[in-house]
Parts: sequence; structure tokens; C-alpha cells
Amino acid sequence: MSAPRSALALALEGLRARRRRAVLSGLGIAVAAATLSVSVVIGYGLGTGFHRATAAAGLPDVIVRFDPQAAPRVAARIAALPDVARYALRLEVTNVGIGARGHQRGDAVAEVLDAPGTHQGYAVLSGHDLGDRGSDVLVEQGLASAWGLALGDPFYVDGLGPQRVVGFAEGPDDVGYPLGKPRFYLSRPAIDAQLGAQADPRVDLAEIWLRNPAYLSEVLVQARATSFGLHDIRFATRSGLRILIDQAAGIVIDLLVALSLIALMTAGVMLAVSARAEVQRRLGAIGVRRAVGATRAYLTVAHALEATLVALPAASLGVLLGGLATVAPAGRLETMLNEPAPRWALAGPLLLAWLAAVLIPSAGAAWPAWRAAGRPVARLLRGADVASSGAGATTRGGVPGSSPRLRGGLVALGARMVAARRARLAVTIATLGLSAAFVLLLLALASELSSLETDPGALGKRYALTAALPPSAAARVRRIPGVLAAAPRYEVQGADSFDLGETIDVIAYPGDHTTFEAPALVSGRRLRGGREAEVGAGLATALGLTEGSTLALALADGSELRLRVAGVVSSLDDDGRVAYIPASALLGPEPAAPSAIAVVLAPGADVSTVLAALTRLGAAPTPVSTAVGRGVPLVDVLRTILRAIAIVDGLVCLYALVQACALTVQERRPAVAVMRAGGGGVGAIVRLLAGAALAIVTPAAVIGVLLERGVLGPALSHLAESYATLPLGAGPAEILAVLAGLALVAAVAVVSVALDAAREPVIRGLAT
Amino acid sequence: MSGRIGRRAFLGRAMAGMGAAALAGCGAGGPLPAGSGSTLESTWGDPTGDGRLRVLAGEPLIARAELSAPAADVGVLATFAHLTDAHVLDASSPARVPFLRRLGPPFTSTFRPQESLTAQVLEGALTAVRALGAELVVQGGDLLDNDQGNELSQARSVLAGGIVTPGSGPHRYYGVQLASDPDPFYYRPDVDAPRHPGLLQAAVRPFLARGLGLPWVPVLGDHDILVAGELVPTPVTRALAVGDRALWELPPGLTLPPGFRLQATSSPDGPPAPGSVHEFLIRALAGPTVRVPVDLTRRQLTAGEVVAELRTAAAPTSTRTGDRLDYAVDVGERVRLIVLDLARRGGGSGGLVVAGQPAWLAGQLAQAGGQWLIIVSHQPLAESAAGGELLSLLDRSPQVLATLCGHTHRNRIAPRATAAGGYWQIETASLIDYPQQARALRIVATAGGGVAIRTWMLDHVGYGPLGRISRELAYLDAEGGRPQGFGGGRLDRNVVLYRRAAVRS
Amino acid sequence: MSVLEARSLVKTIGTGRALRTLLDGVSLSVGPGELVAVLGRSGSGKSTLLHLLGGLDHPDAGQISVAGEELTGRGRRRLPAIRMRHIGFVFQQFHLIDELTGAENVLLPTRLPGAPAGGARRAAELIERLGLEPVTAHRPHELSGGEQQRFALARALVNGPELILADEPTGSLDVENGDAVLGLLRDLPRRAVVIVTHEPDTAAIADRVLRLAGGQLLADGRGP
Repeated sequence: MSAPRSALALALEGLRARRRRAVLSGLGIAVAAATLSVSVVIGYGLGTGFHRATAAAGLPDVIVRFDPQAAPRVAARIAALPDVARYALRLEVTNVGIGARGHQRGDAVAEVLDAPGTHQGYAVLSGHDLGDRGSDVLVEQGLASAWGLALGDPFYVDGLGPQRVVGFAEGPDDVGYPLGKPRFYLSRPAIDAQLGAQADPRVDLAEIWLRNPAYLSEVLVQARATSFGLHDIRFATRSGLRILIDQAAGIVIDLLVALSLIALMTAGVMLAVSARAEVQRRLGAIGVRRAVGATRAYLTVAHALEATLVALPAASLGVLLGGLATVAPAGRLETMLNEPAPRWALAGPLLLAWLAAVLIPSAGAAWPAWRAAGRPVARLLRGADVASSGAGATTRGGVPGSSPRLRGGLVALGARMVAARRARLAVTIATLGLSAAFVLLLLALASELSSLETDPGALGKRYALTAALPPSAAARVRRIPGVLAAAPRYEVQGADSFDLGETIDVIAYPGDHTTFEAPALVSGRRLRGGREAEVGAGLATALGLTEGSTLALALADGSELRLRVAGVVSSLDDDGRVAYIPASALLGPEPAAPSAIAVVLAPGADVSTVLAALTRLGAAPTPVSTAVGRGVPLVDVLRTILRAIAIVDGLVCLYALVQACALTVQERRPAVAVMRAGGGGVGAIVRLLAGAALAIVTPAAVIGVLLERGVLGPALSHLAESYATLPLGAGPAEILAVLAGLALVAAVAVVSVALDAAREPVIRGLAT
Repeated sequence: MSGRIGRRAFLGRAMAGMGAAALAGCGAGGPLPAGSGSTLESTWGDPTGDGRLRVLAGEPLIARAELSAPAADVGVLATFAHLTDAHVLDASSPARVPFLRRLGPPFTSTFRPQESLTAQVLEGALTAVRALGAELVVQGGDLLDNDQGNELSQARSVLAGGIVTPGSGPHRYYGVQLASDPDPFYYRPDVDAPRHPGLLQAAVRPFLARGLGLPWVPVLGDHDILVAGELVPTPVTRALAVGDRALWELPPGLTLPPGFRLQATSSPDGPPAPGSVHEFLIRALAGPTVRVPVDLTRRQLTAGEVVAELRTAAAPTSTRTGDRLDYAVDVGERVRLIVLDLARRGGGSGGLVVAGQPAWLAGQLAQAGGQWLIIVSHQPLAESAAGGELLSLLDRSPQVLATLCGHTHRNRIAPRATAAGGYWQIETASLIDYPQQARALRIVATAGGGVAIRTWMLDHVGYGPLGRISRELAYLDAEGGRPQGFGGGRLDRNVVLYRRAAVRS
Repeated sequence: MSVLEARSLVKTIGTGRALRTLLDGVSLSVGPGELVAVLGRSGSGKSTLLHLLGGLDHPDAGQISVAGEELTGRGRRRLPAIRMRHIGFVFQQFHLIDELTGAENVLLPTRLPGAPAGGARRAAELIERLGLEPVTAHRPHELSGGEQQRFALARALVNGPELILADEPTGSLDVENGDAVLGLLRDLPRRAVVIVTHEPDTAAIADRVLRLAGGQLLADGRGP
């Protein structure tokens, strides 16, 4: 028999002889492979989503929004900019009423394209693009999925009447419904053909593609310099959009990628450790074979093959299950972000994950086998060096004549047994600790999300309504029963003077703004005095502002405010690009700044009464819609994915503990056999393994809590700070839940391994 | 191309060559621009349209036969250079209205991102002119930008040679382009892309000008005698120039005067509208101002003072005295330049033919004899008030070879066909706006008694990065020469303009 | 009354063509205070016989009872309890647990669930009786072979079993230590002791010597 065939035969024999252990290893590999594939689907799929979307849609390098202008005027300004490859103009009409398939919305965004059919910054996923004629409409994929639209469906548009759905599109410059407003595309030439050409067609959005995107900053400088006369200007660059979309998805993407990476590390460690442990168990057998002439290479190949034979089906199963569990919710998230699902693009990375799940155990078996087979045969024949591992422990001085004691009994013995393998104990504790920290983080996050959904106060908005009334009406509004406080809320769009492309939502109140809006203070203090500002954390991070530095706010008309930054707050509005300033500072340069009366309701106030009173005053009251309200579906998706990750992580914990218990039983077979011979039944083995499990779980739990509260939680909170205040330190409830979970997992591991060990004939252990 | 190269010209070329080598050493790799600045050898261009200028191959001369069939050269008659609209500028002067630029044309000349580098660009242009080996240089008007005394003295220093100290005031630069200025409508080199930290300090560092070293003749432009090229100095503007208050920001709520329409025109200065600028000034002064250091050298000059200084600095043959710069000067034996002063003494940027000028021109035309005549003015005759009358005179003269002007800041050459044989109308780009070029002209006699003008553009060359930065900023400027096509087409730059022999009626 | 009663034990191993009958109708009876030695070559099945007698394995046929408790036919759960109360094992390899001191090893069976009370007292007595006091706090790797086997013997006795089964108890010891251990085994009052060995000298201390050969247990010619 040739050497490879012989090695294969040896591998198969090994599998047959240790079927149970092979199954156990296989389960571990499957779990690790599942983790890998979850990481791939989430990390690769979501992480590259924006890039794929922009490539598919040909996202412009700059998107400029402004107040409606004559198209030729805008075109002339754009044509004067350097480095422009091409541009497209459109009119973005908001609050359009739409209806289809029994659904209706009044807040849709209509993108009226000046020149449809050309590259417009969106990708047509199915159907076809708009033309110059016809009552056609392109519907955004997110809206189409949510409403169950099909090609050819009628689509009613306020002001235009019934149109026809001719295609579905994804435009990565904004998030999709339901995360964002429902969006659809129309062709201006087609509308003109239907309704007659407009006398003075307007546009309010320009998409610009550059020949050399590296020259973006220079182009923005020129664009800014020639933008005088345009109002409400917002520049959005690709990187800016990326940030916007990533932040619109909240911390989800970063969080999930981070989590999946942690899980990935855990899985990798686990695989390598179990492979090594396997070899450790078989040192004697390796020695015997070496003694009879087997070569090092032969034994290494045999071990590797054995591990591979187990890993192949296990990895396949794991990758498949992990992928299936996450592909659907990840896909829903991508649709919401207007990013195409990776589909076949995932095949490559998943294949790599599968390969890793196969190769790591194989290498993890081959390498230690290679090393072990290189040791002197006599050492190998002495078997696992358990006897010497206890060496180094000092003799305990007992008091002669005193009654002997077995401190802690079987439980303590079990702990001592598992502690004899220090390195492996450390790795197992680390794995479990990391997983526990992980699950704690997931729980903390999940509970925070719930609080986000139910407590708008967590986002800092204290006013419930705004009323479109002049500032002078504030006093009258305050007198309405049920109104606790009312004040004019001024809001203008500004820009930072030194960094084009950053637009700032400037919010000003007379007096103390925290009555109406109090986003959590990240650093510094609340603003005092007329020349101070509180800036959103997103803005502060982007511009390097801290308390004490100077914010130069350029308002759209070119005037400028200089204010001292008093503190940094976290705010969801405008992705954290917000500045709170005193009304006195704003009204100086902008006496006609737009405002509405913000209304804080008294606790228990009847909202409808207040609304009615406001309407009588002539206002059009608008309830506050927090970003959370928009994000409910996002939170749902996040929960689903978190659940999947948590389950996988729980399996990792289970596997690690089962592995540790099984290895303990395996390596201390003679001791267990003697104990059983001496009358110890399943109960005795359970106590022994309980001690082993305790020795692992207790420090792991401590490490997990400390890691979560000290490192992971703050790190993720920091990641999310421009999106929301998410205190992610696990609370007592979460910690108890995880401890209970660990205890349960330990119990399951202990009992299952004990039952399994009790089934083995005692004499087999004695024969070792 | 002339084979005669004087020692001076050779040294000039060598210096420029070394300078270019030094420039290349600190710049990106790639082909070097020609040390002579001649666009026959190399040009600056952006073939990919990505906003970056690169050195490209030179543009060979193209024959233009609209007026006459090409004929063989038989000898050079004259070589001279036309260098116009340098707009040597004091960027720290409080008598400026940079905030008007954002309103759009016709105010785009009130601020330019590269405006602190005008003295250096002029020096670079002179370097190229020296390399040309010309007999004479026509300084085509708008040598100054804002009718200030220190602008004129700096320009004279560059032309004469010696130490040039750009800027004014104790800081030398204290203006709207400072990094501390939060106004995003100004290009601030320390913070805006393309970033050039320290540019403003470098721009006002004294430098040694070599001097033109050639005879030069002046033409009077609107910016030479009018504030912002529009306004006769008033007590308000005079006080502003030597005062301590500057207008940097657009006064809030400032809008265009009723009835005033923004319009693009062929010249950055637009149609004459001194009243509008004055009105803006008054309203702006009522708004926020910035305290700046005083410098009395910023004194605004009268037209007479400017004319006298130019006459002194240059060496024209003046056949008209007084405060007008109408004169004639010979270049070689066969070519005469007739220089017309069309600057409005009463304000307004456009050209104005005053009483007596047609008669004087007619007299000059009659005296021409066998010389070929080139009529030089700052503003194009066709766009000057009553300029048509002068054009009619030129149309009847068989000796008129060309009109030569600046003011439009663009390269443009158009034939004007007449019964008398026709002539070429040549406009030369400015040194301040892209393409920042001067023009070389070589008059050659052709077989059959005709004549040809060989003309090509000259890029300024320097031995430092400031010239390159100025060109880069000028190119990027979305309100500057690039989008407005000031560079002209191929037929407006390096061409041979044929004209048949004069037929006297 | 016998402490150990084994009747017509049959035990085969292997399958098919590898089928071997190790024990073919073996019967044995040992009374209290009696020391029986079972002699046999390696592979004769003497260790298997010992495992059957101790309830560590099941015979294919036959009955075994220890101290009146039937072993054969008992469920897996009951056997450990019987072993704990009635049977003590001594092995050739000692099988002491290295994490525990000698004394702790002795105490191990007293901490099993269901162990009879007073284990600590009995352990102390045994340690003293076997002369192990000076080394109670030592770990097995710090003890000599003889000390280890004496601790193992003490462990086997600590729950007061009526039957002691010893598998090659002197196999890992030198002559002097082996004799000492054998002496201890012989002097156990009221205990039935069964020793399996391949050494006739070891068997010499027994009250009765049986020889296991060909699956049959026969009286050996030699006697006390």
C-alpha cells in the first residue's frame, strides 16, 4: 500500500475508533464555520455594500443640493468648475403623495430627472430605465419590497395621476424606505410631454462626476466660491455619503462587523486548541507507531487527513447554516440602505471561510502531530505528561496526627484536575470569557435598542410638537393648558468655513435650550452666554472641535458666526452635524431665520387638546418624529442578526466547555476509572466535572464582565457616539442573565460528558 | 526663428533654463517647460480635463490665409513683444472690493485667488520676453490694478530691475486670504485646496528683479487710472486707500442695485458702470469693516500722475504731450506702432475715443509712407465708444497691418477684410488671468511685397514655485480664464498672419 | 457464610473467528478472613475474572454475589453503590491521583455520594495502621512504590468493604515492598481477599491457591 493510501487508511481507522470524539470535533468545527460564515455575510456583505452600491449605480463624486434654480444657470456654474467629467440635474420634490397596491404615503420624494436614461447615480435592478415619453415611474427597491410592487403595477402620484412602474432602482446616495422616505424617479421630458413644458423649469440637485476624484477638495473649493446666490446648499461627497449611510444604519454595520470579527477570533482559537488537544491525547499511540517505524511525515499526514475528513462535512454544514441564518436579515438591511445584496460576490469569501474551517483544524492537527512525532519515542510512550504536570506543586505540610481532610471534595478535585493543564485552561477561560463578554454586549445593546424605541427622551428631544407660528406667538402658546414650555426654535443650515462639504444644522433657542432639547452631553458643559455653542459629536469629530475651540459658522448667505464651543453633545439630528447656539447669536446676522414654536407638553397632558388649541391659533402643528421612529425596522433587522450571532456564540461557549470536560475525563481516565471502581457513579463524575467547569466558568465570567464593561462596551459606545448615546455597560440584569446562561451551558456540558463517561466500561480506564 | 541671440538673451535663457531645472527638481517628474517660455517649444495644458496643468508639446505656427495667400519669408522686419494686463496688485489695500466678486460678472475682476502673485508673474513674463530677443516691448495697459502709487512703483521696479517688495503695510500681506478669515468665498491658501501653506508670506517676500533690459512703451489702461478700473478716485476712495478700514465681507443683505443686471461680457471689467461700484462702496462702508494697518504708499494717483510716470519710465516717442498717451513709435525701419489712449478720464472701464483722436489718427495714417502700421490700444476699438469711427479710418488704409489690444484678457485673432487689403485684429491674454501669457510678434516681409506676422504666446517662467502656483490657481478659478475660454483657440495663438502687398489707391 | 460467591462464570471476548472463551464455567467461593490467590499466565483471563468479581464487567453467563448482594443482573446504577460498600480494589499501577496528597487519595472514596459516614476517622486509622503518617502530606510522585501501594490499600479499605480484590498488587514493587504489602493483605481481619498474580511467590501467602488455565479454575497443587 502506498504511503498516502496507508495514511488515509490510518486516518479512517482513527475515525472509526474514536467516533464520538470525531463527532464532537465535527460539531466544534461546524460551530466555528458557522461563525466564520456569519462574519463573512455580515462583514463582507455589509462592509462592502456601499462600495458595491456606488459602483453599480455610478454614484457621483459630489451631490449638491440647493434651492430651486433655473437649470441653465446651474449648468453654467457647473460647467465652469474644473475636473468635471459630466453632471446631471434633477428636481427633488418632497412630501409627494403616492399610492400603490393599497398603500399610501404623503411624504414621498420624487426625483424628477432632467435627462433620464443617462447615468444618473442609481442602478436599475429590474425592469428598465425611464425614457422621454410615457407615464413611467422608477420605484426605489426598498419601497417596492415593502409594498410588494411588481413591474407594470399602477402607481399613483399626486399631481400627475396614475403612472406605471417600469423598473426598480437603488440609489446609494440615501437610505431606502423604510429607513428613509419612500423615493421614486420621474422623467421631466415625459412629464412635459404629458402636461406641457414648464415655462421656467427648475432644478434643485446636481450630481457631478469628476474625471479625477482625487481633486475633489479643489472642486469643492471652487464650487463653494461660485455658489453665491444659491441657498440651502448642501454638498455631499462620496465619503460624506458613506458616513451618512453608515450612520443612518446607526452603529449596525460597524457593530456587526466588530462583533463578527470577535466571533471569528474565538472560533479560530477554538479550532486550533481542539486540534492540539487531540494530538496530546494520542501521544502514546504516536509513540507506538514511531517505535515500529512510521515516519514523521506519515503520521503527520495521517493526523491531518483524519482532521480533514471530519472538517470537510462539518465545515460545509457550518458555513451553510451560518450563511442561511444571516443572509436574509442582512439582505433586508442592505435593501434599506439602498445597497445591492452581494449574492454571488459572497461565494468567494464564503469559500475562503469554508477553506479556513477545513484547513485550520487540519493544520492544527498536523503541526502538533509533526512536533510530537519528532520527540524521543520513549517520552511519547510514557504518554500524556499528566503525572509531571502536577509537579512543581509544593508538598503541603500537613500536621501529623491531625485528621486528614479532602478539602472541597470531588468538586475541588475536578477543579485541580483541569488546572493541571495551565495553558489549555487559560485558553479555554479566555475563549469563554470573550464569548461571555460578547453576549453581555449583545444583551446590553438589545436592551438599549428597546429603550430607544420606547423612550424618545433617550434621544434628547423633550419637545413633542412644533407649531408653525411666529416667534412672537410663543407667549400665547405657553398659556395653552397642557403646555409646559414653549419657545421659538430657530433652525438654519450653516456650513463650516474651513471645510467645504460639511453642512451644519444650526439650532437656536432663546434662553436655556435644554428644556426643549437636551442631547446627552459627551464632554464639556452646556452653553452659557451669547457667544457659545454646543456642537454635535459628529460635527466635533469631523472638525476636531473640543470644548474651548472656536466654531466658525458660515451661514448660507456668506455671513459668519464665531462662537466658542462650550460642550459636545450626541445628537441624531443631521447625523450629529448640529450646533446649538443662543438665539441672540443667530438673530444678529439672520434676523429672519426660520423658526417654529417648540412645545413641551406637561406630563399627562392631552395631546389632542393642545393640538386643537394650536390649530386655532393658526398653526400647523407637527409632532416630532424622531429618528428612532424611522429606525424601527432597522432595529428589527438588527435584533434578528444579533440573535443569530448570540446563538452561535452560545454554541461556542457550549463547545468550549464540553471540550474542556471531555478532555479532562479523557486525560484522567485512570483516576476516573478508579473512582468509579471505588463506587463512584454518574453523580460522582458530575461533581468532578462540575469542579472542572467551575474552575473555567468562574474566572471566565469575571473576565467577561470586566471585558464588556471596561473595553467592549465603551469601545462600541464610542463608535456609536455620533449616532446616539448608547451606554453599553452591561447592567445587573444582563450580567445575571449571562451568568445564568453560563451556568446552564456548564450544566449541560457537565451532565452530557458525565453521562457519556459513565457509559464507558470501567475496565477500559483501568487498562490505560 | 531668429538665429541672432545676443549675450543677454542667451544668459536669460540659461538662467531660465536653470530655473526651470530647479523647478523641476522640486516639482513632479515629467517633461519640463521650455526655459524660454515660448509656447513653440512647450505649452501648459490639461488634455484630460481633470483640472491639473501639465507640460505639453509646443504648438507649431499655423498659417492663416484669410486675408492673403501664404508666401515665402524674405526677411525679418521687426520683433517685439506685447505684454498686457499685468494688474500689479496690492492685495492688502483697503481700497478694494473683493466681496463683489461673488456676485458674478461683471465683478469677477475684483478678486482673484492668485492676486497676491502679480509681481512675480510679471517678472516671469519679462524673463520669457528677454529670451525672445525682441527689439521693443509694448506694455499693453492695466499695468496696475487699482490706481495706487505703490502698485506703480512696484511695477516700475520689476520693469527696471532691482529689489521688488510686494504687498504693503507692516505685515506686507494683510487681506482676505488670511487663514483666519472665515469667509469661504475667498481662497485661503493655508486652508483651502489646493493648500499652499505659507504662500502669502512667500508672495510678499522681497525679490530681485532682473529688469526688462529692453526699451518698452506704455499703453494706458482703465485700471491704471481708475479705482477697480471703474471709478475716478473720490474723497471716499482716497481716504479708504490710506485709511485703516477695509471691506472684506459682503455686507449682510447687500443686493444688486435695482435695475442692475448681472451679465457676462467679453471683458472681465464689463461695460462701464462706475456708478454701480460707487454705490456698492457706500453701502459696504456702512456695513462691517475690518481694521487694517495703514500704508500711505497706497495713495491713489491722478491720471496725469500715472501718465507722467509711465512716460518717464518708458521711452516713447511722443507726438502728443499732456496727459494723454497717444503716440507713435517705430520698430525697425519698416514697422510703426501707433498707440491710442482710450482710457476714460471720467470713469468707466470701456474704451472711449475722445474728440481729436480720429483726426490725430488720420494724420498718423497719412504720414505712414511705406511703413506697415500696427494700431495699439488697451481696449478693442470695436468695443470702445466711437471706436467704429477709428475702425473706419483704418479700413481705408492699405498700410494698416493689425490692431493690437488687451483688456479682454483673451487671445483672439480675427481677420478684418477691407478693400484696402484688410488687417488682423489681435487681442492678447492677460498676465493675471489664465492663461497668463504674453505675445511675441515678428513681422517678416514675404515674397511679392507682402508681409506676415508670426505670432506666438509666451508663458511666464520663474525660478521658484510661485509662478507655477499662480498659474495653477488661475486655471482652477471657476470664475477665471479657463471657463471663459481666455486661452482662445489654436488659431488665436501661434499663427502666421499673411497680408498681401499694400495697394495704394 | 461466603463473602464472595461466583458460580459458573462464562466470559468470551472477540467476535467471529477471533472469538475466545476466557472463562468457561468458573466457580469460586471466598469466606471472610480468607485469602485466595488466583495464579495464571498473562492472557489467561485472571484480570478479567477479577473485574467480573468486582462488578466492573459482566459475565456472559453465571452469577456473582458479594456480601449477599447479587451483582449479576444489576443495573448500571446499582453496581457502583455495591462496590462502594462492599468491594475494595488494589491495582498494580496504584492509580493514585497526582493532584491529591496520600491522605487525600485515601479519603477520595469517603467523599463519593452515598459513602458511609465516619470516613475521615477510618482514613486516619488506616493511615496510622499502615505506617503512612510521616508521608500523608506527600504527593504520589514524592512517594516510593511501596508507600504508594499502601496508600492505595488504605483507599481500598476506607469504606470498610468485606471483599478486597487485588490485581497484581506487587507487580510494580521490589521484593521488600512487595512482601510488606502482601503481609498487610494477609493480615486484614474478617476481609475476604482475592489476589490475582502470575508470580507463585506472591501466591505463596494465600490460604488457597487456584490456577486459571484454559478457562477453568482449578486447585493448585501447592498449598500452605
